[in-house]
Amino acid sequence: MNLKSAQGSSYRDRTQEFSSIAERLRKSLNGTPVANNGGIRVIGGGGSSKANGPRSKAAFQTEFNKRASKIGYGIHHTSQKLAKLAKLAKRTSVFDDPTVEIQELTTVIKQDITALNAAVVDLQLVCNSQNESENISSDTTTHSTTVVDNLKNRLMGATKEFKEVLTMRTENLKVHENRRQLFSANTSKEPANPFAKQRPLVKKSTSNASTSPPPWVSNASNSSPLFPRTDGESQPLLQQQQSQQQQQMVPLQDSYMQSRAEALHNVESTIHELGGIFTQLATMVSQQGELAIRIDENMEDTLANVEGAQGQLMRYLNGISSNRWLMIKIFFVLIVFLMIFLFFVA
Amino acid sequence: MKITALLVLKCHPIPDGSDPVILANATDVSHFGYFQRVTVRQFIVFVGRTVAKRTPPDQRHSVQHEEYKVHSYNRNGLCVVGFMDDHYPVRSAFSVLNQVLDEYQKKHGDSWKGIQADKADQWPYLNDALSRFQDPAQADKLLKIQRELDETKIILHKTIDSVLERGEKLDSLVEKSSDLSAASQMFYKQAKKSNQCCTIL
Repeated sequence: MNLKSAQGSSYRDRTQEFSSIAERLRKSLNGTPVANNGGIRVIGGGGSSKANGPRSKAAFQTEFNKRASKIGYGIHHTSQKLAKLAKLAKRTSVFDDPTVEIQELTTVIKQDITALNAAVVDLQLVCNSQNESENISSDTTTHSTTVVDNLKNRLMGATKEFKEVLTMRTENLKVHENRRQLFSANTSKEPANPFAKQRPLVKKSTSNASTSPPPWVSNASNSSPLFPRTDGESQPLLQQQQSQQQQQMVPLQDSYMQSRAEALHNVESTIHELGGIFTQLATMVSQQGELAIRIDENMEDTLANVEGAQGQLMRYLNGISSNRWLMIKIFFVLIVFLMIFLFFVA
Repeated sequence: MKITALLVLKCHPIPDGSDPVILANATDVSHFGYFQRVTVRQFIVFVGRTVAKRTPPDQRHSVQHEEYKVHSYNRNGLCVVGFMDDHYPVRSAFSVLNQVLDEYQKKHGDSWKGIQADKADQWPYLNDALSRFQDPAQADKLLKIQRELDETKIILHKTIDSVLERGEKLDSLVEKSSDLSAASQMFYKQAKKSNQCCTIL
């Protein structure tokens, strides 16, 4: 009960007043038997050993409750902060990244969680020692153990949430990196160039020679583009070269490796594209194969039709040629009839 | 894109003041005038020695010198220096250096550690390498592969274009063949008709 009341609001510890009133009452009702229940036992314990300080059961209990309530309050705050952090981590976009806030929140939450952890461990120790040393009712022990367990569980839940939020944030960051690389693939070559640009900066910063850098680099206009120079002139320039080189050691190794990695990536993506192109080619060729089959069918149709037509025409031809014979015969018969007819009339 | 010189030197493992010792030297100074060649060679030797001296062990360095880039790679005291122009890709340059280094170590083993004075004789492999690696694709397999892949991609694009044309032609062929079959059918019907009905005429 103390925990619930302590979460939202502060509480006033009136145990001392209570125990003083109880003392007074006891003194006034001197012969009254002390009832054997937890409350008055606590009072008795509190009244009799008030001088001992917080070693008494009442103070123990209130101490325990105070600590537990503080821890619960802390856990509540931490989970609120966690919710804020989760919201921030979810809404990270590519461009305006509240990185600073997120970092701050993360560190704060981490500190809180570690402190709360320590406090819960402390509380558990206190509870155990209390159980071992004093002779209290089983209710109180179960109550305190339950309280401690509850707090531990809540703290564990908060830690898990924290971890989830962190993983989500790293995933988001990775996605943004990928998107950034997709859209700005050219700028990944930038690491090679700033090292070329950094040389003039490096020269200026490590000027240990009297001659200035530009004549070394842009002397092509002054002298002939070939090498004929005196040794004395090249000496101080090469000293600068040494400092340049030392400044560029690590970046050059990195850029070499990076350029190799980039080339490999390019090769891999090219091969991938080639695979896609081959697949498209295969699809197109198969579609066109179907077209060829249709053409073939049409041609066969045509062939059949033409052959049939040819047969018909042959028959017709035969018919026509044989018909002439018939016609000659018919004419013969007609002429014979005409002759007979002529004979009859004349 | 050319390589002007390749040098193999022996560097002291601790970068103190002693100059590196030249173990092998190959230069291509044909594009300089005849009278400047000797000076150019001397200068190459000098710059190579200095760059090798300043290269810490197991490091790769590139220095810009007028219109040339000098690349050096120091491995366990054996240093290879190459003079290339600006267009030569840096990665290929280092793969050239790597190859020369490996070849030298394979050939001479560890005998180079004992040499104290500049060697004057030529190492034919280095000259041959100089002429071969004028084209960076020879040295750098990655570059070669990338180039071939690009060519293949171009060829494939052309192939796809021709396949599309073939598709169009096949389309027109389909149409024509269907027209043909319709016409032949009409022809057949006509022939049948004229065969059947009129016995006279």
